[in-house]
Amino acid sequence: MTTYIIRRLGQMLPLLFFASVAIFTLVALQPGDPLDELRMTNPLMTAEQFQQLRRAYGLDQPIYVRYFKWLGRAVGGDLGRSRTYGLPAAQFIFEQRLPRTLVLTVTSLTIALLIAIPVGIFSAVRQYSAGDYTITFLSFVGLSTPNFFLGIILLYLFVIYIPETFGIRGFPVGGVPNVMLADVESGRITWGGFIGEWVRHLVLPVFTLATGAIASWTRFMRASMLEVLSQDYVRTARSKGLNERKVLYKHALRNGLIPIVTLVGLSMPALFNGALITETIFSYPGMGRAIFDSLIHKDFNVAMAALVFIAILVVFFNLIADIMYAVVDPRIRYD
Amino acid sequence: MARLFKTLFLALVVGLAYAGPQDNSLTIGASQEPVLLGDQLNIVGTQAISTEVELWMFDGLYVQNLDAELEPALVTEVATVENGRLVITDIGDGEARVEMHLTLRDDIRWSDGEPITTADVAFTYEMSQSPNVPLASPDFYERLTVEVEDELNFRIILEPAQSSDLVGNPLDVLPEHVMREAWDDALRRVGELDAETEAPRITEIYQAVMSEFGSSAAINEGRFVYSGAFVPVRWTPGSALQMRRNPHYYNHPENQENYVQTVEYRFITDTNALLFSIVSGAVDTISSVSITFDQALSPQVTARAADRYDIWFVPSATWEHLEVNQHARVQQVTDMQLNDVRTRRAILHAIDRQAMVDALFDGLQPVSHSNVSPFDAIYNPDVRQYDYDPELALELLAELGWSAGADGILQRTTADGRTVRFELEFVTTAGNAVRERQQQFIAEDLRQVGIDVRINNAPSSVVFSPDFIDRGYDGAWTGMFMFAWVSSQASVLNAALYICDNIPTPANNYSGQNLAGWCSEEYDALRDQAVREFDLETAIPIYQEMQRIFGEELPALPLLNRSNPLVTAQGLVNFVASTFNNGYGYPPARPELVGWAQNGAEAVFDQADYAIAFE
Repeated sequence: MTTYIIRRLGQMLPLLFFASVAIFTLVALQPGDPLDELRMTNPLMTAEQFQQLRRAYGLDQPIYVRYFKWLGRAVGGDLGRSRTYGLPAAQFIFEQRLPRTLVLTVTSLTIALLIAIPVGIFSAVRQYSAGDYTITFLSFVGLSTPNFFLGIILLYLFVIYIPETFGIRGFPVGGVPNVMLADVESGRITWGGFIGEWVRHLVLPVFTLATGAIASWTRFMRASMLEVLSQDYVRTARSKGLNERKVLYKHALRNGLIPIVTLVGLSMPALFNGALITETIFSYPGMGRAIFDSLIHKDFNVAMAALVFIAILVVFFNLIADIMYAVVDPRIRYD
Repeated sequence: MARLFKTLFLALVVGLAYAGPQDNSLTIGASQEPVLLGDQLNIVGTQAISTEVELWMFDGLYVQNLDAELEPALVTEVATVENGRLVITDIGDGEARVEMHLTLRDDIRWSDGEPITTADVAFTYEMSQSPNVPLASPDFYERLTVEVEDELNFRIILEPAQSSDLVGNPLDVLPEHVMREAWDDALRRVGELDAETEAPRITEIYQAVMSEFGSSAAINEGRFVYSGAFVPVRWTPGSALQMRRNPHYYNHPENQENYVQTVEYRFITDTNALLFSIVSGAVDTISSVSITFDQALSPQVTARAADRYDIWFVPSATWEHLEVNQHARVQQVTDMQLNDVRTRRAILHAIDRQAMVDALFDGLQPVSHSNVSPFDAIYNPDVRQYDYDPELALELLAELGWSAGADGILQRTTADGRTVRFELEFVTTAGNAVRERQQQFIAEDLRQVGIDVRINNAPSSVVFSPDFIDRGYDGAWTGMFMFAWVSSQASVLNAALYICDNIPTPANNYSGQNLAGWCSEEYDALRDQAVREFDLETAIPIYQEMQRIFGEELPALPLLNRSNPLVTAQGLVNFVASTFNNGYGYPPARPELVGWAQNGAEAVFDQADYAIAFE
């Protein structure tokens, strides 16, 4: 196993190198230049001055030179500065955007799991009951409602329609609350107020993001449980005279959860990617928007920092998933 | 624990009190967030939202008022020839040197109480002249010199000067006592690097200094000082920026407690969400960088306006137009005879621009007749106008040998015996819904007269890349290209758009913005004369003659002048914008005078004088 892990880690390096080359090249090959806009708004700028600016931003060099310069600094821990945000790219990504994205995605993932697993089990155990049909119906509604549509509808309902109709205060239209951890330390706001503000801001985006996950994981959980429940060992357990609770939770659930664990494991990198559409609708400053904007504005350092970080996560979580297979299933061995 | 839940519940249901007249505050919704604040030399970049927000925090030497006139801000008076402070000298070759003798007010202070002196002016100038500093408008600073006489008096010299140099604020002022050490340290580190090979590193060093004082962290720690009416006190990235009145500001109104005390910019990047926050009353007004024109006209906004907020459309100098390729070396250009003015006239007569602005914009964005805004002092109201007249368009085209083919599309036989159809490429920015709708409208009108339109849109990063937009000469685009020029008054006075030298060709390494390749010696001569005429009254007839030529010759086809929507809660006074105030029409003209009528703030400006109200 140790040899296997070392070998896999060794393979990760060339893989990440090629991934970073591919990402850099793709970003660089996009048409347009980050300075075009500047040139378009300044009719007085001469060609020489424009060239001087291109040199100032290193855009006059060939792609491979720029790539190796970036790589040299990145290996030394310097990810460069964001052209769009004027901050060190690492600070922008890892201090400003990543924590916020994690708040959003981890909350929705947790809520989705807390709802989807019991509902899926219920649906499987009570197959073809009225409850099962209702859950199935709602799951399909959830699966087929796109986030951008659900988000706008929720905004309209909870920001405008309900507050106007009932004269109560609605939810914020989006963004993150105007409170910082430092405010709690300085006593400007209490912990309750701080968490309350975050909850108010998170309710709608988390609901939007969790809906699809709840719907699909409920279906997975139901299918997985149904498969397990029809296995011989479950029948054996029942015929031994075990009570239904024990059969369900001791025998069926543990096996039924295996595919869900895999699914959740593979969706881990997505937690860090952020959720572009939900973040856009709710003006939530997370990783999804950061990556999208950096690509649109050709903010190389941010795009590279974010995308290579995600590439590392994907490779890493794949390795973890492979190791977990061996841990969960004794039939799998790596040598 | 019970207390925690109680506060949580209260926060959820009751939340924080609404901003507005109750606590004499102002909340402004913006769809963009500044990168950093205080980058007055644009070393990190140029960003409309930063410029707008900085107007609350920094005063320039001059301010451009709602009527686009200059008023003194940090200085005692504006330099004019009459008051002897403006000296214009002929330096030969038709070039001029401009000297402005300026005196700082003696009562101006930074927000930490330190006096603002000529040392700050000289320091800002020194920053602009630092080796390899990446400035967004190097052309201006290359011609600039600042000479200090004493603590209050200094001279700004521009050589060679242009008349447009006299429009707008000549220089911003940054605090020497705060920035000197960091800047000197940057200069030392830059000095150790090779400018040829390490240019990007040098850029980063300079930008890091600006971040050190202008980032959200710097603002939250109070690292910087300000010269304007408000100072930032708190910036939660991705959420909001709060400002309060600057206690050391020289120009607060009497009874300043009647005017807003705190201002908050709330950053809501999605314009639909921003629209919801206007409707729900979460913001009192909007930034110039916010909802789109058609969002302001959406029923969700207009239906709820009565008794709550006013909707204004402020005419902007953003000019939506069609470039028509006139480079004779491009086959399609000569085949369609786009370089013959009669063709361009026919196309313009064939487009019902009034119907287009009525249908798409409720008539609130006026049809344009030249490249100069009707709100500009140099505008020529008698410029030739091309009314919708498809009959006349057909006559003009018939004169050029076009007749309808079997499919209704015009065709003609060229001199070399080929039969060509009138098929016109039409490029615009893909994804810009408003422009794409305009394009459909125009294409349909052109088809009515037998001109077939081939739409070839691409994202703005593609069409505005130098490999595309600048290569009309090589036929990268062969027909019409619709986009907007955003002009400040200075760039209008500079009038560089349609001069022959500005045609991008291989000879000038494809630089310049006369993209379509129109060239007129007469126009060039007038422009040379105009930019060297420093007395606007004398220059106006020259500019008007240039517009007359534009109207006759149509170097480009004017479509419309865009308007910026502005939604203001009722009772808010002096939050007013015009076409050219502060250069590009950023509200408000005078931040220190913004207030609520219900709290006793006195209205000095009336938005109705500068914008069209939505009825």
